[in-house]
Amino acid sequence: MKLDIKPLILIIEDEEAICSFISAVLTSNDYHVVKAKTGKEGLSLFTSHIPDIVLLDLGLPDMDGMEILKKIRNWSKIPIIVVSARGHEREKVAALDLGADDYIVKPFGTSELLARIRTAIRHSTQVIAMNGLEAENFSVGNLEIDYNKRIVCRAGENIHLTPIEYKILVLLSKNAGKVLTHDFIIREIWGIYTDESHTLRVNMANIRRKIEVNPGAPKYILTEMGVGYRMVEELSE
Amino acid sequence: MESFDQRPDPEKILEQIHAHQKQSMGKLKIFFGYAAGVGKTYAMLDDAQDRYRGGMDVVVGYIEPHTRPETMQKLHGLPVILPKTVSYRDIELKEFDLDEALKRKPELILVDELAHTNAEGERNKKRYQDIEELLAAGIDVYTTVNVQHMESLNDVVENITKIKIQETVPDYIFDRAEEIKLVDIEPEELLRRFEGGKIYRPDRAENALQNFFTRENMRLLREISLRCTADKISYENQNERSLSDKMANTKMLVCFGSSPSSAKCIRWTARAAEAFHASWVALYVENTESEHLTPEQQKTIRANIDLAEKLGAEIVNLTGHDIAVVISEYAKLSGITNIVIGKSRNKKTLKNLFDIDFEDKLISLLPSIEIHIIPGTAVKRNYKKPYKKSRNKVFHFSLVDCVKSFSILVFATLLSFGLRRFDIMNQNIIMVYIFSVLLISRVTEGYVYGIISSVISVLTFNFFFTEPYFTLDAIQSSYSLTFIVMLLVALITSTLTVRIKSEARLAVKREHRTEVLYEINKKLLATRDLDKIVSLMNDYVVRLFERSIVFFTVDPEQGENGVVMQAANDINASVLNSPDEKAVAHWVFLNQKRAGAGTDTLMGAAAFYMPIISQGRVLAVWGISCAKEELDHNARLFLRMIASQVAMALERQRLSDEQRNIMVESEKEKMRSTLLRAISHDLRTPLAGILGASSVIRENKRGLDEATRDSLIANIQEESQWLIRMVENLLSVTRINENASNLVMSPEAAEEVVGEAVSRIKLRFPRREIIVHVPDEFLEVPMDGTLIVQVIMNLLENAIKYSPDNSSVEINLEKEGKCAKFEVLDRGKGISNEDFPYLFTSNKPSDNKIADASRGMGIGLSICKTIINAHRGKLEVENRNGGGAVFCFTLPLKGSE
Repeated sequence: MKLDIKPLILIIEDEEAICSFISAVLTSNDYHVVKAKTGKEGLSLFTSHIPDIVLLDLGLPDMDGMEILKKIRNWSKIPIIVVSARGHEREKVAALDLGADDYIVKPFGTSELLARIRTAIRHSTQVIAMNGLEAENFSVGNLEIDYNKRIVCRAGENIHLTPIEYKILVLLSKNAGKVLTHDFIIREIWGIYTDESHTLRVNMANIRRKIEVNPGAPKYILTEMGVGYRMVEELSE
Repeated sequence: MESFDQRPDPEKILEQIHAHQKQSMGKLKIFFGYAAGVGKTYAMLDDAQDRYRGGMDVVVGYIEPHTRPETMQKLHGLPVILPKTVSYRDIELKEFDLDEALKRKPELILVDELAHTNAEGERNKKRYQDIEELLAAGIDVYTTVNVQHMESLNDVVENITKIKIQETVPDYIFDRAEEIKLVDIEPEELLRRFEGGKIYRPDRAENALQNFFTRENMRLLREISLRCTADKISYENQNERSLSDKMANTKMLVCFGSSPSSAKCIRWTARAAEAFHASWVALYVENTESEHLTPEQQKTIRANIDLAEKLGAEIVNLTGHDIAVVISEYAKLSGITNIVIGKSRNKKTLKNLFDIDFEDKLISLLPSIEIHIIPGTAVKRNYKKPYKKSRNKVFHFSLVDCVKSFSILVFATLLSFGLRRFDIMNQNIIMVYIFSVLLISRVTEGYVYGIISSVISVLTFNFFFTEPYFTLDAIQSSYSLTFIVMLLVALITSTLTVRIKSEARLAVKREHRTEVLYEINKKLLATRDLDKIVSLMNDYVVRLFERSIVFFTVDPEQGENGVVMQAANDINASVLNSPDEKAVAHWVFLNQKRAGAGTDTLMGAAAFYMPIISQGRVLAVWGISCAKEELDHNARLFLRMIASQVAMALERQRLSDEQRNIMVESEKEKMRSTLLRAISHDLRTPLAGILGASSVIRENKRGLDEATRDSLIANIQEESQWLIRMVENLLSVTRINENASNLVMSPEAAEEVVGEAVSRIKLRFPRREIIVHVPDEFLEVPMDGTLIVQVIMNLLENAIKYSPDNSSVEINLEKEGKCAKFEVLDRGKGISNEDFPYLFTSNKPSDNKIADASRGMGIGLSICKTIINAHRGKLEVENRNGGGAVFCFTLPLKGSE
């Protein structure tokens, strides 16, 4: 029913050049765009337009991007993609922990931006579509996961994983395309009060040795340095 | 003799302290009089009123509440800090509120009665200490004092007035006063005032009148006070001479011991030194007897040390059996010109007959040094009692010694019987007994056994071996000589033995100290890093004194805890980091003086705090727990020796830290400036390209064909990408600079870092083949991940750029010893020999040759080098067999520190 309607994207970004570049890209890719230059304007546009997705720059002149994130998350689950400068892992992790769906680092290419937006929209519709109805399997490239039978195959061959490794892989695959922070993964797998970052890295190394052709150039699970891991939705090559 | 050769030069310290103090110290003005009632307080208030009217921020800190009404009127209009009320043994006492005054921080504060002793429980024992704190805080102080309260004049005044004055003020307070205002009236007038009840209230007056306010006393006191003021003035007039000059002329030495009369010697020397403008040393010699000192005697020694210190002496503590020899050695070594000793008239005893008088010995040892003898007075009674008590301890009776003596005597008697059977003469039997006495003296402790044995020997000999046998009749005949000889043998042997033994014990003790000091010194020399020095010293002190210890290397005011170490059976060391204890340590940092348990300041603290001072700066503060008992003077002296070693080590550490910081700073500065130079050149080129291309497109919208426009836009894109990479590199440099020496390192999986870098490079060069090898082993490396990714990307980018398009680039990760080794290999033309030395520096001399071709490479590599160095890794480069270059860097693995 909603198929013909173009998705509406709210861009909260104070840099004129970047804002117009993003809106040019998005309009030419069949999205509606609303632009806000300040945090306040962004929030009021958000309440008046109810966009399908928000692109939020963290460095705004009037208020902290994190504040906006918190305010929106107080009452809405609409996907938010954070736009941040490179080299501030802590900021990214904080934004993700506050409920941002994804982040993109300046400078970014158009294809990267579009891919992130696609993923975000897909996840938000998934949530709506599959209330109670879980997907039964996941596949990307040669990799297949059958959630019911708890089987992981690469090119038709069964891969033996330990229970923890399987849990991590399932967690990543169910959130494919999204970056999951280390803390989030640890919390989901081991519970809240443990510092298992070393164990997580070791497990991840083992998973990669089992599912990747070359663990030094991973294709399925990508590392986001200092932030977390992301499982790809489709192979890049 | 170990205490004085390692001390820092006191003159320098003094000079430094003075130079330092002049900047911020408050000025002290003392209103000085010869008795109560001369009008000091009145004069002080009068002066203060003038200042107040002149616009100065004057506050009255404390005025005696018993002050006369005329004087109280003078108080009118001046702001007053209300005294706080302290209850002590159910009596309400009014005390000066020091903390309030420090908080209020006026320009000038008035505090009456410099010599006042504070109520128990106050931070400082004496008011002059309060005033020192005020001065240290930069507040000017007006105060009043009477002549009889001057420490060095204490005994003189006592002699005149026959009243012992308890509350005294050290002379240095007087000396540091900027201004001494003598308040003087005729004694007749004063006595009239006194009789009119204007000085004391009638009820208090009578007692004081009889004892103190006599015309004679007043005249003498007045004379002393006038002379004292005159001395101060003349001293100031001559004070332009430098300190070291003064040292050359006269240097006085006072020897003191556990006798209270030593205090008199110390005071006398202080006055004499003042008169001669000389420096002086107070020397305490430890010998055998000091081991058996009673607690009172130890207390007296401590009091004497404190007194001497208060009066400005340098304290030296030496060990040796023969005091005269030790003193003469020290005097020769340190250029003493005058020696002051105390002497009380000796009773003629047997022992005295054989001893040379102490002063005679000293004179014979030091013919060229003047010796002053101060008679001891009224101390005999005090002195003898404890002395006897201490002697008793020497003659402790032990069963073992009794058995030893007895068996030797029995053996001698049996032997003598044997000898008599063989008809050997009596003289030989005497020899046997003499020998046995000698033996007994040798093998037993103390004199007693020898003496008793000699008596028994004579009696036994008399009883068994002289005619008439089995009687004691022969005693008065010719054998009395034998008896005397035997007694003398016993005495001399015992004395010698006792002396040798005790000297051996002292030597062992001294040896132990020296050894410990030497060991500490050696270890300190080999120790780098503040933390290690601190833990080393804590370790030693805990072991030596068996007390918990806390070591503050920075003022606890700044919020840091001291390093504590727990002794086995002492209070919980963490108590020493409680806010109360920290306040004491803070005080010590500020005032450069000892405080805490066993001192006059903040006595309630759980520990004894001492500053470690070098060059007039407090480098650290030490707190030694006194929960079990207070430190005795030996322990304190030993601590001081250790402290001087620590001071040197800390000073050395500070200097080397400073030097290193300067080096790091200059290194960073160098890097930054070369970077800036290189960048400003490198940035211009792509910007020019972008500007040029974009303006061509805008200005010739129609004149351009499709292909040209595309290539121009591609140029813009390429150049801006290059700019972005450059900016990223620059960002990583700022990241290093921000956290200078300590990068934020967290363990990362090496393969993930490689993977990340490779995937990002692939986005930029999708068509190039990159071969990645990672080991099966999981390698975890502590690093700043973002920076290392940056390094690998830079290396990969270089490899791609400098090798043919159809060749592949390899990256290998492997474990090498305790390091992770990253290698980036290409099949380019390698690195020419002339480029090798300049590869990692951003300014190449052959810059113009390939400036454009290698744009940014120099910067990229120099940044890589910086990053890897900051990770304590190594970046190297070599040419590859079969063509190409290998860039290789190693990073230490987790846990391989």
